Amino acid sequence: MIVGEQKPIAEIKDKVSSYSRLLILGCGTCVKTCFAGGEDEVAIMASALRLAFQKDGRKIKIEELTVERQCEDEFIKEAATAIARNDAVLSLACGAGVQMIASRFTRSPVLPGVNTTFIGVLEKQGLFAEKCMGCGNCILDTFVGICPISRCSKKLLNGPCGGSQNGKCEVNSETDCAWQLIIDRSKSFGQMDKLITYVPPKDWRTSQAGGPRKLVIEDHVI
Amino acid sequence: MVENFKVVSSITPEPVKIEQFKPKITVFHCFNAINSIADSDNVYCDIKGIKMPCSSITREVFLLRAFEAGADAVVVMVCPEGSCRYIEGNIWAGKRVARMKKLLDEIGLDGRRLNIFFIPQRDQTALNRAINQTMDNLVTLGPNPAA
Repeated sequence: MIVGEQKPIAEIKDKVSSYSRLLILGCGTCVKTCFAGGEDEVAIMASALRLAFQKDGRKIKIEELTVERQCEDEFIKEAATAIARNDAVLSLACGAGVQMIASRFTRSPVLPGVNTTFIGVLEKQGLFAEKCMGCGNCILDTFVGICPISRCSKKLLNGPCGGSQNGKCEVNSETDCAWQLIIDRSKSFGQMDKLITYVPPKDWRTSQAGGPRKLVIEDHVI
Repeated sequence: MVENFKVVSSITPEPVKIEQFKPKITVFHCFNAINSIADSDNVYCDIKGIKMPCSSITREVFLLRAFEAGADAVVVMVCPEGSCRYIEGNIWAGKRVARMKKLLDEIGLDGRRLNIFFIPQRDQTALNRAINQTMDNLVTLGPNPAA
């Protein structure tokens, strides 16, 4: 899922201060799971902003709405009337959701309330970790299901670098060395010989280096 | 000891009076800790009690909405550490209160307006002390600037 975290309230307050009617629009999918932009976070943000402005002697009318997914046109349609009756939208979705709102509702200013951080997993309650960089050419089979692109600080395809200690990365001692994990897992599968094969430099054109990417699934296009 | 909790022991159980205004205090309390907030004998403040079956259902937005409704201070009263009937309700409540205290500081309302207290089961003295500590804080803080 996409992991994000809310921007500081002072930054958000500054962004919305010129509007008197504001819609705070949440997203009920990824950012809800990481406690950045679901229904609860929308309610907290609305209340905090109302208090912050009331303290300054200013009234701001805040409407709250959370749609199932902000990155799909089908779901954001239901926000149309709420968006129309407000001066601006504070979106608590990821960057994709914010842009989806901006492209459909061209006359409404859309402000981001969340910093989109990474594609990751919930490792344990309250702990999210990056696992994928969306490089566009998955090579997880070569590395026994552990991605050196997203999980090795140096993105080494022919590791290890030799700098790790006790299975921890020399760049950040709290990060597990991805290559230690790859070697341990390869040993358990009896596949250490696979790691002898040289992996050539990655073709980054499938990643963002090739510009914005699109995926067309012909049989779903009318 | 869980961080951010207040232990009610240092302040006299005698009611504190604030001359300048009559504070409004909203108290969210686990009904295993305190059956009814009406047991408080402080007559110098308006106390609104909100009874919860367990402090684990303390939700951040309700704490903020109490301030929106005009509370000068909000207090969460929970069972002491290790005494929660549902094991960890008081710990979750403590974390949520800590997060909202930080948010109140960030928006300039002052996190000291929100506190959480351990209250041994049905201990009226502890209840009065908690209210008095809150009143004591309000002497410095004054009324809610967003009310």
